[in-house]
Amino acid sequence: MTDTVDIGLHVVDHQLLDSEGRRCGNVDDLALEGNPGESLEVVALLSGPGVWGQRAGLLGRIVGWLGGGGTVRVPWQEVEQIAAHVKLRKRAEELGLGRGDDRLRPLIDRIPGADR
Amino acid sequence: MKIFQIALGILAAIGGFVDIGDLVFNVSAGATFGYQLLWVVVIGVIGIITYSEMCGRVAAISGKAVFDAVRERLGFKTGLMALIAAQVVNLMTLTAEIGGVAICLQLLSGLPYRWLILIAGAALAVVVWVTSFDWIERVFGYGGLCLLVFAVAAVKLHPVWGAVGHGFVPHVDTKSPLLYAYFAIGLLGAAMTPYEVYFYSSGGIEERWGPKDLGLNKANAMIGYGLGGFLSFALMIVGGSLFLDKGIEPEFLGSITIGAEVPLGQIGLLLALVGILFAVGGAAIDTLFSGAYALAQFLGWEWGRYRHPRGAPRFTVTWLVLLVIALGLVMTGVDPVQLTEYAVIFSAVALPLTYIPILLVANDRSYMREYTNGTLANVLGLIYLVVILVISLTAIPLMILTNVGQN
Repeated sequence: MTDTVDIGLHVVDHQLLDSEGRRCGNVDDLALEGNPGESLEVVALLSGPGVWGQRAGLLGRIVGWLGGGGTVRVPWQEVEQIAAHVKLRKRAEELGLGRGDDRLRPLIDRIPGADR
Repeated sequence: MKIFQIALGILAAIGGFVDIGDLVFNVSAGATFGYQLLWVVVIGVIGIITYSEMCGRVAAISGKAVFDAVRERLGFKTGLMALIAAQVVNLMTLTAEIGGVAICLQLLSGLPYRWLILIAGAALAVVVWVTSFDWIERVFGYGGLCLLVFAVAAVKLHPVWGAVGHGFVPHVDTKSPLLYAYFAIGLLGAAMTPYEVYFYSSGGIEERWGPKDLGLNKANAMIGYGLGGFLSFALMIVGGSLFLDKGIEPEFLGSITIGAEVPLGQIGLLLALVGILFAVGGAAIDTLFSGAYALAQFLGWEWGRYRHPRGAPRFTVTWLVLLVIALGLVMTGVDPVQLTEYAVIFSAVALPLTYIPILLVANDRSYMREYTNGTLANVLGLIYLVVILVISLTAIPLMILTNVGQN
């Protein structure tokens, strides 16, 4: 990696990995702060179906609604590394990410052989 | 010897070159134009090797599969449209392959088709649930190689080798140029069909490829797709030797197996049927996984057979749901062969949305480091981008003008 990061190209739409390497969503949008005339600062990553409407209009809203809405805000301080993926400092559960998988897991566990 | 672990390449290639639709399409290309279209397959093989090597390398170095690249380079909106197109075409193909497995079982057992659809669906679900990715690859990839019986059949049918050789030289010599172009576009579209690279790149990650596996990636791409192309040649030569100028239009899977039965007898027929069963079953798994890979990667979910079902619940539910929908569709009695023909033509339209992101990511130095594309990969990549654009623009007009290859 170079010292500067192109956040449009190398952060937005990238895979989020938690501290244990679990895939836990994509960076769907960024939250920026800063008044006009001041420098802008990335304060958080946004992930989840609630953001899709802003990304893709009507189609995005429909898909976001199908996905159940909801947005997770990951403070920028929780980002450990930006390489091919965006690596986070904490586990997905602590950040509220990957809940869709966690909710379905008990269902999958009922089928024999789910851990093989 | 790791260099012989080429099952991934073979299985990915089988889905593109000898799935249910291509088996018929290749033989029927031979029946209509003799050996004249062999050169088109060569062009397709080089193209898919170029792009598979590229996306296998991206997977090994950066851990990104094709739909990760699609999402990051096309963004959410265009990427979403690519995803929807991919899912529709994938589902059509999956439906066709399950139908193909059922037809194959019917030819082997004589039981009723609709029962065999359910048996085929249940068998696929159980196989995918209990078998590791490595063994799925090996069983279906190497099992599909029974189709090499068609290479023996091609030789035994004593084609005019001079004419076969001439077929490898690009030329157009026909009274029906539109139909010729339709077959050419169909063969190219099938050779470069997008789910091959969805499956191949995700498969590299399933196998946990890293920088040390780049040789393995090259071997997989070249030998796997090379074999796929070779099978495609064999089927076309069989079609040309057996059916050309006889007024026979092979439209059914059963008529393909005649190609092995005439020169080789019962054993040829049996090997052909077993080969087709594994190839079409393998293509079903290709498309089943590809649909789930694409969705999971686009949305950032955990995915992969290597994570086990409980480690990737949404991915697992996705392929289960896709399987159930496809079973429902195939139960309507839709003709599998026709369906894949439409799927190839429709997927041709979306080809650029798959291959442009791969080319861009393979050139991104920030995470490909010293493993970015070399000159050869970029020159070939750009040439094939032009080929892909031509395919995507002409596929549907040609389909309409030739009435789906009927005149």
